[in-house]
Amino acid sequence: MSFSSAKKLIGPEEIRRQIEVLDSRTPALGAQVVVKAWLDPTFRARLLTDGRAACEELGISFYDDTRLIVLENTDKVHNLIVCTLCSCYPRPVLGLPPDWYKLKPYRARAVIEPRAVLAEFGTHIPDDVEIRVSDSTAMVRYLVLPLRPEGTEAYTEAQLAALVTRDTMIGVVRATIPRPQRTSL
Amino acid sequence: MTDTSALLNRLVNDIGGAQAGPIEQVEHQLEPWEKRCHALADVLDFHKIINTEEKRRGVESLGEVAIGKLTYYERWIAAFANILFQKAILTPTELARQMDLVASRSTSDEVRSNDPAVRSG
Repeated sequence: MSFSSAKKLIGPEEIRRQIEVLDSRTPALGAQVVVKAWLDPTFRARLLTDGRAACEELGISFYDDTRLIVLENTDKVHNLIVCTLCSCYPRPVLGLPPDWYKLKPYRARAVIEPRAVLAEFGTHIPDDVEIRVSDSTAMVRYLVLPLRPEGTEAYTEAQLAALVTRDTMIGVVRATIPRPQRTSL
Repeated sequence: MTDTSALLNRLVNDIGGAQAGPIEQVEHQLEPWEKRCHALADVLDFHKIINTEEKRRGVESLGEVAIGKLTYYERWIAAFANILFQKAILTPTELARQMDLVASRSTSDEVRSNDPAVRSG
């Protein structure tokens, strides 16, 4: 930005450095956090107490001034995150949000008809499971800790991490084991 | 809610619970200028020049028509300019001069790329 070089408010070097930071943030970081929580109950407890501090333990820095609340899915509760006002999102651990997260249909409807919204993502939550929707703010961001799928007891960390997609940490889908490819004869 | 109370109670960004159509699961790789815009927002925030709330209010004050028609980062960059004017950090004249400079730079790039001497192939 030239106004910055003229007025020395900010430097072009800072923009370049921040682009590198943005590029370094992908859902793989969130997946790393989730897998660690699945495998280590004491870490999970710390993560649920203070999401930011637990992520920082894993070397994930928070470049913004936000708090992170991690929401644990259970057999009885399914969590979903949204930002009704704009596009707040747990960027340090997930990177930048997808366009649909920033557009009106998701922002408007997630808080009033979450089951219908989830169904549009192919996610059907049983009626006896409560759905909790958390609305992000400038200062408080959320991350969903998905349920570990059954049948993954023998999985390696890398195999588990592959199940933890961005959308499972937004809460629009559940973490699932990919169905075996059916071979047609 | 009557129209009047709806207008008074809700700013244009405040759409939680509003009626809306189906979710189209669209996404795109950011254009280079969009990523620069995002990084600029972060750097302005680090320097406490424009914070997240100011940015959101800046977008809201573009008004419903502009919000509906501009893309996400177009709204941001327009909001940044307005906020910097309001804070007297930047003047419209300074921005206009700089935009002219950038425009002339890209024109000379175009001239160069149309020059058969530098065109590849």
